[in-house]
Amino acid sequence: MRKQFEMAKVILTAGLFVTSAFSVMAQSAPPVPAPPPAQLGALAPSNIAKPRPKPAFDITGTWLHAFSRDNPFTFSPPAGFKLTPEAQVHYDAAKKARAEGKAYHDDIGQCWPAGLPLIMTRVWPIAMIQKPTAIYMVSGFMNSVRIIYLDGRPHTDPDVIIPSFNGESIGHWDGDSLVVDTVGFVDDHHWLDSGIPLSDKTHMVERMRLLGDGATLEIEYTISDPKSWAGEWKWTKRWKRVDDTDITEASCLPDLNAHMPSVTSKSVNVR
Amino acid sequence: MRRFQVACMCIAGLWMSGAAYAHHSMEGFDRAKNVTLVGTVKQFKWANPHSWIEMEVPNDKGGVDTWNIEMTAPFVLVRAGWKSTSLKPGDKVTVVGHPQKTGEPGALFVSVTTATGETLTDRPPAAATPTPAK
Repeated sequence: MRKQFEMAKVILTAGLFVTSAFSVMAQSAPPVPAPPPAQLGALAPSNIAKPRPKPAFDITGTWLHAFSRDNPFTFSPPAGFKLTPEAQVHYDAAKKARAEGKAYHDDIGQCWPAGLPLIMTRVWPIAMIQKPTAIYMVSGFMNSVRIIYLDGRPHTDPDVIIPSFNGESIGHWDGDSLVVDTVGFVDDHHWLDSGIPLSDKTHMVERMRLLGDGATLEIEYTISDPKSWAGEWKWTKRWKRVDDTDITEASCLPDLNAHMPSVTSKSVNVR
Repeated sequence: MRRFQVACMCIAGLWMSGAAYAHHSMEGFDRAKNVTLVGTVKQFKWANPHSWIEMEVPNDKGGVDTWNIEMTAPFVLVRAGWKSTSLKPGDKVTVVGHPQKTGEPGALFVSVTTATGETLTDRPPAAATPTPAK
């Protein structure tokens, strides 16, 4: 009996010691930093109501890329371009495929999102809605959604941002232009042009202006991707306002694709 | 009458045919050539992002080939005078398209002439010069 009493004393003493040790540790641990204030959503009425300088223009409308010889829908590399060795492999393979009348990694045809910048120059119109806090773009092609935040928020922490094909766009007004900075892209199945991959290191800056009484949208593109090429590549593209149409629902579906020779032919599509 | 004709096409207009109206690679089609297909509509799909025609075409061996004709977006076709009822299963039609380079029975749509003689393309009828979707 005495032996059992001694054993209980030992256990109790050890328990008290451990408890007090944890207590000391808890008191000496650095304080947990307070979480940053939550970012108000772009459609929160209290965010929209905040006082802001008058924007240079209202892009709200339906827009269609104004395809012509001097305004192609493609983003071809500039003269004298230099690719990284990794990208050069894709480029050479695409060139070989083209010479054989084949398509190289036609991911868009296989229902992968076009992503920026190609989503902007498809032959389906884009609905654009501007609020003081953001511009919402919905493409008539696959209903791809793009949001350009105008409420002063910074880019999301790179460790938190969710990679996407359209990336994360933050815009600010600069004179008559809207300057849009986009990062946060996916690292695969995303192409600038045939055989030129875009990666998670893609950085895109767009300078948007409205011309001709608001009938024309002009965007100057500056795109870099150190995983694929050296330096910055630039293009200027134009869109026309189309007031006589709306976007519609569009889905890339297997049963529709089954009747599309360009995407079903295994002998044509090189992967 | 030859049911299967391949003819050279002039260069004018080639730059915008197909490539401008498609969301993906058109490398598989020979846009320097036309194929004329006389046959019967099996199915006409009025859908986004692309419409298409599935048709049965008698071949030179006494059999029938099923061809898929890839088309552009319906909103472009609407402006060219198309409706969802423009083609129906069983319609006798003559379709012109750019054939696949592989020889597989598929083509990129150029025009269709129905049994009543009406011809439809993917361009607005009044357009003086070929222009992309407006």
